[in-house]
Amino acid sequence: MHELFTINYINIDLAIALQVVLLGFIGGILSGFIGSGGAFFMTPGMMNLGVDGVVAVASNITHKFGKAMVGSRKHAAAGNVDKKLAVYMLGTAIVGIQIAVAINSYLFKGEGGGHGAAKGAGANLYISLVFAIILFAVAVSMLRDVLKSRGKGEADSGPSMKIAEYLSRLNLPPVIHFEVADAKVSLWVLMAMGIATGYLAGTIGVGGFIGVPAMIYVFGVPTAVATGTELFLALFMGAFGALSYAYQGFVDLRLTMLLYLGSLIGIHLGVYGVKVVKERYIRVVTSLIILLCVFSRVIAIPVYLRQLGVIEFDPGLDWYFNLGSKFFLFASGISGALVILAKVVHAYIQRRKIQKTLLIHKNVETQPSASIRAA
Amino acid sequence: MTIVMISNKFQGGGEELAQALAAKTRWPTLHRQDLQDQARKLGIKVGRLETSMIKRPSMDEKLAREKRLYLAFLTAALCEKAREGDLIYTGRAGHLLLPGVGQRVRVGLTAPMEIRIKRTAQALNLSQDKAESYLAQLDEDIEKWIRYVHQVDGNDPNTFDLFLNLENMSLSHAADILCQTAELPDFQATSESVKLLDDLLLASQAKLRLAFDDRTHAADLQVQADNGVLTVTYPPHQEAIKGYIPKALADLEACREIRCTMAETNILWVQERFVPGSDNFRQIIQLAQRWGAAVELMRLLPMGERVGAPGGDPNAEYEFGPRQCPSAPSCGFEVDDTEAALDDGGLGRVQEELVSLGRCGGQHTVCGGHAKILERVQDNGQYALVVIGDLFLSKGHSVRTRRTREMAMNIRDRLKAPVITAEELKSRFLFGPRQAMTLLGFLAIIVMLYGLVFNHQTAVMHFLSGSFHRHYKWVGSVAVVLLIPIIAYLYGTVTGLALKLINVD
Repeated sequence: MHELFTINYINIDLAIALQVVLLGFIGGILSGFIGSGGAFFMTPGMMNLGVDGVVAVASNITHKFGKAMVGSRKHAAAGNVDKKLAVYMLGTAIVGIQIAVAINSYLFKGEGGGHGAAKGAGANLYISLVFAIILFAVAVSMLRDVLKSRGKGEADSGPSMKIAEYLSRLNLPPVIHFEVADAKVSLWVLMAMGIATGYLAGTIGVGGFIGVPAMIYVFGVPTAVATGTELFLALFMGAFGALSYAYQGFVDLRLTMLLYLGSLIGIHLGVYGVKVVKERYIRVVTSLIILLCVFSRVIAIPVYLRQLGVIEFDPGLDWYFNLGSKFFLFASGISGALVILAKVVHAYIQRRKIQKTLLIHKNVETQPSASIRAA
Repeated sequence: MTIVMISNKFQGGGEELAQALAAKTRWPTLHRQDLQDQARKLGIKVGRLETSMIKRPSMDEKLAREKRLYLAFLTAALCEKAREGDLIYTGRAGHLLLPGVGQRVRVGLTAPMEIRIKRTAQALNLSQDKAESYLAQLDEDIEKWIRYVHQVDGNDPNTFDLFLNLENMSLSHAADILCQTAELPDFQATSESVKLLDDLLLASQAKLRLAFDDRTHAADLQVQADNGVLTVTYPPHQEAIKGYIPKALADLEACREIRCTMAETNILWVQERFVPGSDNFRQIIQLAQRWGAAVELMRLLPMGERVGAPGGDPNAEYEFGPRQCPSAPSCGFEVDDTEAALDDGGLGRVQEELVSLGRCGGQHTVCGGHAKILERVQDNGQYALVVIGDLFLSKGHSVRTRRTREMAMNIRDRLKAPVITAEELKSRFLFGPRQAMTLLGFLAIIVMLYGLVFNHQTAVMHFLSGSFHRHYKWVGSVAVVLLIPIIAYLYGTVTGLALKLINVD
């Protein structure tokens, strides 16, 4: 198929289709568990299957659009969406997305100058670097968070607030009040965050990891409202991203549809996992999975550098780098998903076992002054 | 046993008014500061709660447990004092404490800003300008605090019985007004208000016991009290503490029974009469079992006649004043199990069924409308679902349906939980023939769409990025943006229904 197009679209046979569905399923579990869109796993996962970076990002952002539409309705019904805040951020996020699309398109169309240069190597390298840097920072911050809060009370836990407190004290006019979020934010800070969120969503397909913490720690928005509003924002950012990338011809509808087959099932299991797992454990698992995803991307970078002529080595080694990258990505995703599924199944069995026990032991008198029933 | 609860702003005259009232009535006074000092001695991090909430609102979820503990302490302390006799309390939002207790006089107070500024400048040794800025910031912080702790607007006039403005009124005359108001029959203790006070006291004491017991302090527990029966729900992943709960509460005064239920969440079921084995009951149980939820029962009684109204007065319905609560269980001062069994609206029998199913989440009886419901549940934590069942049974079908929907809408606006009527329960949460048809229909469309795309991959990719796309870029992009939500919606519905069918959701 790929010889008919300027872009390298992969042939999708049953084996590849099943792998993409599996990617979607694992991404869905992780996204339901962590609360993000799952792009940090699905985008590099598709790249490991031979999909061009830009196509992976474009297909994933399109996938996110449809998912966000379904999810944001539920949050809106629960009153967790501050539409005014979303509209303000959207205005600047669109600018960020446009910047990202422009850079990605430019890099994709640029020629690689080195021996064995592959089309899109520049874009692949760029996406991988941005992915590695941003998500490394997120994962390290989360782990530091967890290690710091060990043994401390809940009031002492939380990331360093120095930057957030400084930014939140920066009441540069005009300051806008958001009623649902119950927060006052400087328009300039809002615009900067919006552009950053849009840029990252457009570059690597990741938005929630930046948008949600930004709303919580910089704007001071309650977590539920931040999550709901981010999802609402993701709906429009996804739509705009999908439109922009589809206009450029980068969206592979087949990949998007296959991702849905897995992700819309996985997400239910991931959300259930959140209910039965302690928060600290969630953060540890999340940060370790992200770190492994980052590592898998870093392993693939030498290939792109070789293709661009920056470094030289035997092209035969590409296969090993790609295999290593694929191994770490799938290892992290599958082991993370298995851990979560194990917890879910364990909790489900535990619940049924305990219910039976509670029924057997009812009406047992243990105290003379008060009758105690195990219900 | 009247409780005068005065809410006022900093340097707004509240303490002086309380003292003036106490001088006239000889009632004891209690100030917020006294309770805060006691709370700190107990180990409740009040200062950190205030500072973190104001400076770092993102911490509000992390400090939710601390907040509940603080509220439990305030409630227990006030209830204990109120049980001893009449009481005068001053605080920031005193009028919002002890929700639903009828013998409170909820007083709001305001004073001219200029006077407050002068008093603040004098008290804190500040210049007028600094005092003004300080007051403005403090008032804003306190409003935020009230919204955080009580989830309501502290200035909402509907939450006061009386609002006094000290601009043209002396403290002595304001105290006279309060004194006369407090003596009105409208604000005297009734059997219902005393029962509620007892329930609040028992629940708060239980919460404090569990919070300060080493074995249970880390647990995420919901506690309900009704007529001496404590219901404690704990989450599945903290099952290990189940055995310690009765031990921690064993010698709690006024506790007749302790029920421990394991539940991931609560479903609040509001109804006028409960019938075990009814359709509503079966559906809610089915849902509760699927979600691992406890079911909290709330019997909502319509407002009775105005207290003191002559019997048979046709205009009584339209007059202002406190309403009688129609006969409800345990409204007498002395609780007798036999008497309590009479016309409890089926609460007792349904509660027994829930206990036997391991789904018991406690019970309440409330008289009034949605405001009373919200008042009763505001400190009860999150609900996964609120089901408004059969209400307004004395009305015709169309009035019943309309008023039930209005009730659901009013509650939905205030409570952060999905609120549905019993009619909607089956269609939205359970699996029936309609859901089966939707599942099959949508599945057929999905299979067709996927079949079309994957059997014609080359044509599809030409459309999206090949020769066709080169000439008609916008067509392809619009097609993607239109098609993707349809696919997501259809397939999302299919997976949701399929998981619902196998009781996973």
